[in-house]
Amino acid sequence: MPIVSTSTSAFYERARADMKDLRSQAETLQAQLGSGEKLTRSSDDPVAASRLRALGRLEKLSEIDAANASRANADLTLADAAMSDMADAIIRAQELAAQAANDTITDSQRTAIGQELEQIFGNLVGLSNARDSNGHALFGGESAGDAYGLDAGGNAVYVGTPNTSNLPLGEGQSVTRSMPGPQFLSFTDTSGNPSDTMATIKALAVALQSGTPDPTGAAREALGNLQTGLDTLTTGQTVIGTRLAWIELTDNRRIDLQELRQTEESNIGATDIATTIATLQETLTVLEASQASFTKLAGLTLFDKL
Amino acid sequence: MPSDLISMARSGTRAARTALEITSNNIANASSEGYVRRSVSLAEVAVGTVSSTPTSINLAGVAVAGIVRNADQFRQGEVRRTGADAARAAAEVQGLENIESAVEQTGVYTSIVDFEAGLQALLSDPTDGPLRAGVLEQGRTLSETLNVAASSLDAVGDGLRFEAGEGVENVNRIATELARVNLRLSRASDSSSDQTAQLDQRDMLLQELSQYVDTRTSFAPDTGVVTVTLGGPSGTDLVDGGATRSLAMATAADGTVSFTLDGTPTAISSGQLAGKSLSLTQAASTRAELDAIAAEIVTTVNAAQAAGVDLDGNPGQPLFSGTGAADMRMIAANGAAVATAPAGAGANSRDVSNLEAMRSALSAADPAGDMDTLLFGISSAVAGRRVTRDALDSIASTARVALQAQAGVDLDQEAVNLVRFQQAFEANARVMQVATDIFDSILAIR
Repeated sequence: MPIVSTSTSAFYERARADMKDLRSQAETLQAQLGSGEKLTRSSDDPVAASRLRALGRLEKLSEIDAANASRANADLTLADAAMSDMADAIIRAQELAAQAANDTITDSQRTAIGQELEQIFGNLVGLSNARDSNGHALFGGESAGDAYGLDAGGNAVYVGTPNTSNLPLGEGQSVTRSMPGPQFLSFTDTSGNPSDTMATIKALAVALQSGTPDPTGAAREALGNLQTGLDTLTTGQTVIGTRLAWIELTDNRRIDLQELRQTEESNIGATDIATTIATLQETLTVLEASQASFTKLAGLTLFDKL
Repeated sequence: MPSDLISMARSGTRAARTALEITSNNIANASSEGYVRRSVSLAEVAVGTVSSTPTSINLAGVAVAGIVRNADQFRQGEVRRTGADAARAAAEVQGLENIESAVEQTGVYTSIVDFEAGLQALLSDPTDGPLRAGVLEQGRTLSETLNVAASSLDAVGDGLRFEAGEGVENVNRIATELARVNLRLSRASDSSSDQTAQLDQRDMLLQELSQYVDTRTSFAPDTGVVTVTLGGPSGTDLVDGGATRSLAMATAADGTVSFTLDGTPTAISSGQLAGKSLSLTQAASTRAELDAIAAEIVTTVNAAQAAGVDLDGNPGQPLFSGTGAADMRMIAANGAAVATAPAGAGANSRDVSNLEAMRSALSAADPAGDMDTLLFGISSAVAGRRVTRDALDSIASTARVALQAQAGVDLDQEAVNLVRFQQAFEANARVMQVATDIFDSILAIR
């Protein structure tokens, strides 16, 4: 019958295996503390790793959404600014039309007003061809070139496409990044014909300079049309403002979701420092104890007594 | 008779001395691999002659009846069986971990997501050169990471096959040595120290063999000659007496392996070879899934390309070539080749409807989801097998400790034996002294 229940080599083997186990546990904990991540490879926790992959993917796509949203924001702000300038120009044109509608001014004064209106027309054509943050026509829809061109008679003609592209903002939401020119420049005039602000100003400018039989009548008619044009423009500007607000709303929502994702990510994948340090300390204490007891036991041999 | 007293004492000292020698041999071999503790079995020598009457005193001392190897065949069998299981599980986990690293650490998943993100970013301005170049480069990275993952998987397969081949060679070497030991065992005399050494050698070889394959063994009762069978109850003999069969490995087209014993197909269900074989099967299926994902991306993107026009207004050409993970390539020369606009649109069109179509086709095919499933499958296989390995490992080490407790050398016990047999020797010497004294006292009578 053996004196102790095991042989000498088994005793050493077992002590070695136990201490090796404890040491590798301590090293794993140390690696978790060092990297700040609980999982070093997927197989440490397949479900958590899969969830982390999905969260990482959403995070990546959400970054693109954020970049798209800021581009849309920039484009809409540019559109808003351009439309404000246009409104200023139209208001000036209204003032000039009101002056021209006055019977007391001379023909040469009307011609001067006509020339100024011609300038305003030029400004409006320039503004309607304003560029967005990518250098494309802001109000040209998906046009590759300008939004408005000039025909042989010097009239502004829309050359863009009827629609503006949508930009996805994430979570299935999207925003139209601008507005095609005709949506806020074209309207139906007082006589019920389709017209647009630039054509109205151009026509009035021509009428005042060439000395039509009834310049005041033309100016009065233009005055009414310009008011409609300004209203149409203001409506368009309101729509742009609403879209800007919408982007801000989705931005806030995206940030909220991002925070949620980051919280979940750190819950699943990050090292809980307090717990890990406590466990590490426990492991080290056990390791020290087993090393001490191993040294004591290994020193116990009958051969010392012989 | 006093003269018998001396011869009895002589037999006693001889027995005690043999026991001391055995003890010192045990101590010397306390940490020898495969050494089984010996003990001496003593028997009384009864001298019965035909003429002697049953009542007469016939004492003749003690004799060494034999040297006992303290090995239990059941425990040894358990060590072999559980050791083979543990070796299989360890080899499988190691192989699967390599497969996991090959597909996970190459970053295939990240590069798929990056490609998707690149397409999404292109929506913001489809005519933007940098964004188009970004899509192209992300596509190139995607195809290259898939190439790397495929070649890493192939490398894992090559490594596993190399190790399996080495295992087969080892099995054949051990079989040859076992046959040689069998021949010597059949010649060794019973209970001699030559026989015990051969038996130690035999058990050590069997244990080594069990690391590679699962075996069935049967022993000849008198000589200890072993017959080793592979492939379950109806398997084929690997070693039978002095004869051996040769184990061979064949590799299939998909990289999986099978084994034959002198031409007979043999199923190996445990041991390292079984673990390698299982890992190779997993590597082959992972490789097929990776190829499917690559093919899915290639066909989806190229089909969407064909439906649109590129930046110059020309019909879209394929972005990717190849049919699998290994031969997938980005073939477009520059970012202008991405067909964002629908068929019929002019050059520099900002119409993104074809890009939208490509994105929705890609999200319907969901290569990122498929890759996640692949990674999840392999990593949960690793996690599961790791639990199995740990369980089998602890079973195997329990069996080993149980065998060691019985067959291993315990130095404390040997120290006790040392004292005991030394005392026995001294006592016998004392008996001789007594016999001499008796003689002397008789001779002293005048």
